[in-house]
Amino acid sequence: MTVSERSALPARSRGVIALVEENCTSCMLCARECPAWCIYIDSHQETVPAGPAGGRDRTRNVLDRFAIDWSLCMYCSICVEVCPFEALSWSPELAPAEPDIRDLLHERDRLGSWAPSVPPPDALDERAPAPKELAAAEKVAARQRRSAQR
Amino acid sequence: MTVPGEWAVAVRAAYDGPPAVAATVHDDGFGLLAVDVPAERWLDAVRLAHDGLGLVFFDWLSAVDELDGGFRLVCHVAAHAPGAVRHLLLRTLLARERPAVDSVAEVFAGAAWHERETHEMFGVDFLRDGEALDLAPLLLPDSFEGHPLRKDFVLASRVAKPWPGAKEPGESAASSRRRPRAPGVPDPGEWGP
Repeated sequence: MTVSERSALPARSRGVIALVEENCTSCMLCARECPAWCIYIDSHQETVPAGPAGGRDRTRNVLDRFAIDWSLCMYCSICVEVCPFEALSWSPELAPAEPDIRDLLHERDRLGSWAPSVPPPDALDERAPAPKELAAAEKVAARQRRSAQR
Repeated sequence: MTVPGEWAVAVRAAYDGPPAVAATVHDDGFGLLAVDVPAERWLDAVRLAHDGLGLVFFDWLSAVDELDGGFRLVCHVAAHAPGAVRHLLLRTLLARERPAVDSVAEVFAGAAWHERETHEMFGVDFLRDGEALDLAPLLLPDSFEGHPLRKDFVLASRVAKPWPGAKEPGESAASSRRRPRAPGVPDPGEWGP
């Protein structure tokens, strides 16, 4: 049984920061904004060769290390706010206490393991306009349906 | 329940005197009412809040380092009544060279603790009858030198540890040619007294 099931914590509790590695572009924004200097990111660049249709080779960043030091983190949520790709979000799980302070440095596998426990966002207000992502997704789906019929 | 507007009127009336404390009342309409007083009328202004306005609950007293402006001493006092809390912020600006102000511990005994803390963190002297009180360190170890909440105090951990944000995206080690600096942290060479 997880912490969030045991205790009725509110959905937006700041327990631990969960990492969705696939969304991270190693842009360094969170590490730079962190007032406690507790986020460590290593990454390298990889070249994606041009496709058969031509074009140019592209470089992309590959994440090598993402770690948060819970002994320094002050739970200010600035990294979660600043992430442009929603790679970080709060989970109501709790980082366990450790006998050794060095064990509070959690690497990306630990941070990633909390991603499933991130609660869904709060429901929109009654009569709020529908989210833009929904309209965009429906437009794409409609276009695909049309092209499939042809 | 006190209507906020009424409270502002009462505060203005009290601080217009007598006794005149040369105060200016700041009211932005939604936040806390703030009263700025010259440093030499600090004790009178706090006494007026206690005796004249009935703000008998002392919440806290601390300071803000305003760099060239000096140190701003801030004190929050309140009055509890069923269904309403009236509160007020008292502020005064102290000279940077030798920040000293009258102690308000004779009005609020509990303020002595906060004055000790402000003394060790900001180096502000608190006076009684013109004599600086000998305030014992409260939180810092005995051998500690300097006033850690002053902005010119060098934070050792910000000098000793490399900034994790110094790397560019796609880098594993900060490049040596160009070293971006963490916002708000000056170069160690130009930082500190």
